[in-house]
Amino acid sequence: MRMVTVTIDDKKFEVAEGTTVLRAAESSGIQIPTLCDHKSLAPYGGCRLCLVEVEGMRTLQPSCTMPVSQNMVVHTNTPKVKEARKFVLTLIFSERNHFCMYCQVSNGDCELQNSAYAEGMTHWPLQPNFTPYPLDATHPFYVLDNNRCILCRRCVRACAELVGNFTLGIEERGSNSVLIADLGTPLGESTCVSCGTCTQVCPTGALIDRQSAYLGRAKDSIHTKSICTQCSLGCGIDVIHRDNVVSRVEGDWDAPVNAGILCKMGRFVPLAEKRERLTTPLVKKGDALKAATYKEAVEAASPALKAGVAAFVSSTLPAEALYSFKKVFADGIKDSQVMTLDESAYTQHLGDFLSASKKPYEGLLSDLNGADCVVAVRADLSNTHQVAGFMVKRALPLGMKLVSIDDDSSKFAEYADEKIDPKGKLADAVAGLKSSKALESSTKIVFVLGKSADLDAATAKALFSLAEYFTKAGKSVKIISLKGEANAYTAYLFQMDGKVDLKKSKAAFVVLGEEEPSQKLIKDLESVPFLVVQAAYASALTARADVVLPAPIWSEMEGHYINLEGKVQTAVKAIQPPE
Amino acid sequence: MKTVRSMVLVSNDPGSLARGANEVFAALQTELSRLGIQEEISLTTVSDVGRSDALPLVIIYPEATIYGPVKPDDVRYLVEEHLYKGRVASTLVASTKELTGRITWLQARQGTLPAETRIVLERAGLIDPEDINDYILHDGYSALGKVLIEMKPEEVIAEIEASGLKGRGGAGFPTGTKWKYVAKTRANKKYVICNADESEPGTFKDRLVLEGDPHGVIEAMIIAGYAVGADEGYLYIRGEYGLAQERVRKAIAQAEELGFLGENIFGSNFSFKLHIHSGAGAYICGEETALIESIEGKRGEPRSRPPYPTTNGLWDMPTLVNNVETLANIPAILRHGAKWYRSFGTPASPGTKVYTILGNVNITGLIEVPMGITLREVINIYAKGMKGNSSFKMAQTGGSSGSIIPAALQDTPMDFESFNKAGVSLGSGALLICNEDTCVVDLAKVLLIFFKNESCGKCNPCRIGNERAYQILANVSEGTATLHDLEDLDKISQFLYEMSNCGLGQTAATPIRDILKYFRAEVEAHIRLKVCPAGTCPMSGRKY
Repeated sequence: MRMVTVTIDDKKFEVAEGTTVLRAAESSGIQIPTLCDHKSLAPYGGCRLCLVEVEGMRTLQPSCTMPVSQNMVVHTNTPKVKEARKFVLTLIFSERNHFCMYCQVSNGDCELQNSAYAEGMTHWPLQPNFTPYPLDATHPFYVLDNNRCILCRRCVRACAELVGNFTLGIEERGSNSVLIADLGTPLGESTCVSCGTCTQVCPTGALIDRQSAYLGRAKDSIHTKSICTQCSLGCGIDVIHRDNVVSRVEGDWDAPVNAGILCKMGRFVPLAEKRERLTTPLVKKGDALKAATYKEAVEAASPALKAGVAAFVSSTLPAEALYSFKKVFADGIKDSQVMTLDESAYTQHLGDFLSASKKPYEGLLSDLNGADCVVAVRADLSNTHQVAGFMVKRALPLGMKLVSIDDDSSKFAEYADEKIDPKGKLADAVAGLKSSKALESSTKIVFVLGKSADLDAATAKALFSLAEYFTKAGKSVKIISLKGEANAYTAYLFQMDGKVDLKKSKAAFVVLGEEEPSQKLIKDLESVPFLVVQAAYASALTARADVVLPAPIWSEMEGHYINLEGKVQTAVKAIQPPE
Repeated sequence: MKTVRSMVLVSNDPGSLARGANEVFAALQTELSRLGIQEEISLTTVSDVGRSDALPLVIIYPEATIYGPVKPDDVRYLVEEHLYKGRVASTLVASTKELTGRITWLQARQGTLPAETRIVLERAGLIDPEDINDYILHDGYSALGKVLIEMKPEEVIAEIEASGLKGRGGAGFPTGTKWKYVAKTRANKKYVICNADESEPGTFKDRLVLEGDPHGVIEAMIIAGYAVGADEGYLYIRGEYGLAQERVRKAIAQAEELGFLGENIFGSNFSFKLHIHSGAGAYICGEETALIESIEGKRGEPRSRPPYPTTNGLWDMPTLVNNVETLANIPAILRHGAKWYRSFGTPASPGTKVYTILGNVNITGLIEVPMGITLREVINIYAKGMKGNSSFKMAQTGGSSGSIIPAALQDTPMDFESFNKAGVSLGSGALLICNEDTCVVDLAKVLLIFFKNESCGKCNPCRIGNERAYQILANVSEGTATLHDLEDLDKISQFLYEMSNCGLGQTAATPIRDILKYFRAEVEAHIRLKVCPAGTCPMSGRKY
């Protein structure tokens, strides 16, 4: 990479060619205020707060979009620049209702207010004449208040560039510009997928999430960087909490997996929990469950757990928990069987894939970014593992092709260039891809394998012969298996993915964690005489258990997770479990 | 070529069409065949009649008699009298006073009006714009032939550079230099775009070029493609220009049919494809990067520069964007040479400029005159003086974003350099001439309503600044402003220029700046005395 010499505020240094003046200044410790700029979004140049003086240029230049050039001389703090900054802020404050004292994010979380303080503003001299906009509170997780919007388009750009959903946009032009969803639909009825990335990038109080309202400002709260345990992607999260209450979850911009974006499941759903939390052990006395001490609970349970226990564990738990579970039941108790709750729906044929592939095709999530064709095999990325879906969707306008092999129930198939309904013959459908136009015209192909019972050995064979065929044709082929729950891969490595025969079992021990038991599980366990359930929330299964033990939830646990790429990550405990 | 004894032209500009030009044309056809003289008389259409008082016009050569307005019912009488019996159908002749319109070749013939110098519009009005053969008969596509057979791309660019041609869209950037930038950028694909999104209020020169001589622009685009190494072009035509679009579409089809467009033009290995893209009514899409975004199917918002379109334009490829009028100069320059072109205009701004004259003058319309004539000359010679002997107060050049020129500057030669020196801009060529009854505050207010609605809304200074400036001016015209507000107005205009992202925002402030510079006393009278000297503003009690 060519280096060029620039002088910013009398500091002379070298940076790579093509760097923007803003980033170059930051790299040498010079701060330039910005509003529309965001490090994860493409430079936009709309707010004009980052204007600087470049010697030889007729007008002030936005440092966020201006690339450096050889021997460029930049001044970021001249009286003219300072006056210009104040003028921009004056204009913004005069455009709409920016009366801070009534705003939820003021005094710390608002970038507009912070910028104004930094420039020493006490008032704005231009008379405002805004027309109030109606508040859009139709969305279950967040509120759109156009009165607070500064039209920086961070949300619009994030929705398009990061999530690929293109829900948010700007209606009208000039002074009538206004942020809208779709073609003016209320947010709650729009095509929004509730990923909440817009709330995370909004610099003001225009897009704020409901749950964290008045639970304390982010800047006054504790930030704990952890990982999301809702699926096997293992997205990096920033848990924002105060006084042992989690107010908000944000994507971690520095996380290798998701680089800041999250889906509804990671950001909002865990905090919108309405189920009854279990805080003490319960023991069945007569027909009813009564609160007990741990000692009483263990005494009640242990006689039944001597031998022949069917042990189920949620694969959302940390590796440490899975390991001890396996140790206790498979190795410690005679004739016991151990398996995961999802009955290895994702992983049961993973072994076939892995042994057949000898791993040359195993792909990483980052392969999605450079791919020009993605084939989703029974993978509805609009429903599960949504962040991977966003990575695909945001590349579609850039020319990536999507082939979907799934039935009509898959929402993700709607984005596909080629839709194939396997009609129960998945192996044939996969083999048929040899004649696919999308694959033929591509050079980097990524297969994404989802959850399905018919993802069998025959499909595996067909897939690998297809991969070989395209590799021979000079294409790069990668295969990513979604693997299911957060620690499903670990469970597979611990060999906890067999089948359990409940007829032989005298007792069952189910660790639900936060999971809601499936109807099938409840029915299957009806025949078991003695049932111990360890769960965070009350459910139909805990109601009929003989002994119930409480469990911590995601924010209260520490441990290791292996994500679908095989990356080992650590979940960090943010708050204490309830007493 | 067949010889005919008479040539009958029917005007078919939009005004004439609205008044039944097509019906007149059909009636003429019927009448000529009824009398059996259709073989001796050529019947065709003509655009650019340059007048609106007597439409539709029927012009008969060689006598150069102008009839108008002609109704279908008059046709029988007209044909019998003039073409059959050979005498002037006197009751239909357009009034002589009105004959001062700009049907150029006619003026030159009669010698009663100041001659124009036509390069851009040399064929507009002379030929049938819907017939490629007519264009070819008038030297059409000969420049292209010369370029493809005799010249290398570098030689074409050198010729354009030597001609000193400057962009006629408003900024006056040297065309040859722009071509060179695109030519030297290496890429697999390049584009040529003709910016015909002419939306400066009061400017309609590009429309008349496209309606009167569409092939001229097409030929220039092919030449430009050859010179810079592009094989595909887009004509971005303003959505309201239905007739221009239709004519260009026809012209492209005809050029394709005759092999001027398509694969291996003139047997060379150069190929060129041309598309039409219709604008959708946004002023901002006349800005070249917004125009490119619009062709790409995105919201028309200007990009940040650098990178410039010459390196990263349409679909991120090097792109040449030229205005219609600029392109229309190209074939003539290549036919006659740069030296010939430099014989027009001033040394620094050679060539001619097309102006559209509007406002309180006796004759409004379109003229093409050499660069460097003065505003006083335009008003007194071409516009035949101010209306009703009123006095000239100011002119606005170049549409809404242009400068306001006070009477004191009316002797400045109108070329890019002299105007720059005087601190005003030439802009796109609209000349809005105002007399003493025009209030500067009112004028600026109208312009700001336009800008606050037409700003794309991307950058804060332009989106909010224009709104704030409008509000202050509205207060001034209501008599509720203070002198302090003028300071704010000054500041807004200064910062709009300094801080905006694109030309729209930067020039939106020009009218405000100019009225505060040249007419401050008049603005202050609104505030200090609560009086509108022109008697226009609401506080003077006059109703709109």
